[in-house]
Amino acid sequence: MRTLRIVFLKEVREILRDRRTLIAIGLAALATPIVLIVISQVSTRTATQTYTVGYSGDIPAGLDVLLTATGLKLEPVPDPAAAAKQEVDLGVVFQTTQIDEYYDPTRQSAQIADTRVQTVLGQYNAAKAAAALKEKGIDPGVLNPLPVTIHPLSSPVKAAGNAFLSFFLPYILVTMVLTGGLSAALDTSAGERERKTLESLLLTPTPRSRILLGKILAVGLVSLTAAIAAIGSMLLALTQIPLLGTHVSLSPLGATVMLWLAVLLAGSFSSLTLALGTLAKNFRQGQAYATPLYFITIFPASIILFIPDFNPNLAYYLIPILNAVLVLRDAIVHNAVAWPALGVTTASLAATGLICWFAALRLFTRETLLIKS
Amino acid sequence: MSPVAVKVDRLEKTLGKNKVLRGISLEAGSGEIFGLLGPNGAGKTTTLRIICTLLSPDAGAVEVLGFDTRTAAEEVRRRVGVVTADIGVYPRLSARENIAYFAELSGVSGGDLTRRVNSVIDRLDIGPFAQQRAESLSSGQKQKVAIARAIVHDPEILMFDEPTSNLDVLASRDIRDFMVEARGRGKCVIFSTHVLHDAERLCDRVTILHEGRVVATGPTAQVRGTHRDLEDAFLELVA
Repeated sequence: MRTLRIVFLKEVREILRDRRTLIAIGLAALATPIVLIVISQVSTRTATQTYTVGYSGDIPAGLDVLLTATGLKLEPVPDPAAAAKQEVDLGVVFQTTQIDEYYDPTRQSAQIADTRVQTVLGQYNAAKAAAALKEKGIDPGVLNPLPVTIHPLSSPVKAAGNAFLSFFLPYILVTMVLTGGLSAALDTSAGERERKTLESLLLTPTPRSRILLGKILAVGLVSLTAAIAAIGSMLLALTQIPLLGTHVSLSPLGATVMLWLAVLLAGSFSSLTLALGTLAKNFRQGQAYATPLYFITIFPASIILFIPDFNPNLAYYLIPILNAVLVLRDAIVHNAVAWPALGVTTASLAATGLICWFAALRLFTRETLLIKS
Repeated sequence: MSPVAVKVDRLEKTLGKNKVLRGISLEAGSGEIFGLLGPNGAGKTTTLRIICTLLSPDAGAVEVLGFDTRTAAEEVRRRVGVVTADIGVYPRLSARENIAYFAELSGVSGGDLTRRVNSVIDRLDIGPFAQQRAESLSSGQKQKVAIARAIVHDPEILMFDEPTSNLDVLASRDIRDFMVEARGRGKCVIFSTHVLHDAERLCDRVTILHEGRVVATGPTAQVRGTHRDLEDAFLELVA
């Protein structure tokens, strides 16, 4: 234990004096609030932005008021179909018995304008039909024979906030645990060969397994610190920046699960990056070896961006990284932990960490480690 | 010869497809400077690496102060200090921190740690730059730190592998002086070099390697024989 502590403290001291690692952690802590501010501003602007509807013909009485109140600006144009391609967001031809709408689905502004127009027209048609029935002495309720009353089990605004956190937080966690400690891992492995200190280190009577474990613990600590700094600054920013009309926050359960997963991921990633760094002759070569890791980790981390309702069976929780992302998503969205899923995830990540540790140890004890140096 | 400290017996080693050592035997004693000589690629560094347990032999055996390098590697490493031409030091640690780190890894602790670190700092005149980060030191200063970390645990055997190849005249002289001083304190000093002139001045006994084999061994004067110097003797041996 004594030699383990000595190696760990020396590595931490060196890492703390390394500008590259400190800058990486600092940038991570700064970057996430900046991204949040941008997202917040874009979403607010999208919700309040006015879109232009180019129209021809006579607007039915009262409809212009409704459309204008929904953030749609009405502008007469000679050919709404042609105008909808570029000049305006949406083209509408008002005829006596029907309305023709033209929009380009490849434009996001056209999609938003279309949704707004459809909503207004639906309400307008319903109101007109109800008025006509009433005039003839018929209860307008016949138009809605099965009225539905919605009872949300939780706040829809809070749910939207949780949904946002559920795909953003796992992504940040996985990428920061990996990238936060990468520089330190390569410096303490490939850098040791590059600086030609490796031979002297291996000449000490300290067992190589303890030297390696001390390095892994130091790199794991840096990874964890980077992830916590990034996520902490993001959560702090969320208390100040309203997102989707509310202040999003992480529940204590979500925070606990996240911390546990961060520890498991940091253990695996630090062993893996140290193994890769041990293979490399220098820092640059180590970076080249580590580059594919970005893709390998980011793909599973991004899967819930593309399939938000991805609810796989327990076997999927054996897949490292994907399992952490799914468990954290569930903890955030449902504010509950599926214990079997967490158990499988923990076992899977611990096993991955152990495999990486043995791989790193095997590489660290090979004779070629010195011969290649 | 003084008591045997290092005994190498019929050592063989292949690295990749290259048979580097082909049955080397030698003995180095305490209180002497033993020269391991030969041209580049003769097998000097591989021999030293096997003695200090960094590599294991394919055949043959090595004993260091009675400990077999295969079965008692940790015991051997406690008793050996190695200085190489690669004067790699941790750049973000100070000279003192570099030395203290290796002392701690070698089992030095508590009050003994400060005493030993201070002692080698004084002995090698590192004091003026002890608190400076190693990245700002000159080659000669770094070499002093490299020597200090190799001897801070007071090993009985000191191995120098081409220690002066990257140094200027003054720093090289310091190293040579240090080797002579270590011999005076009863240490077994193994000096590996291809600079035969240096060896001739310092070594009590030498072994000359060529293509993985011992081509001559014995007291320096005896190996030189009737030749003008060791270099002439070597050239005749490998001709």
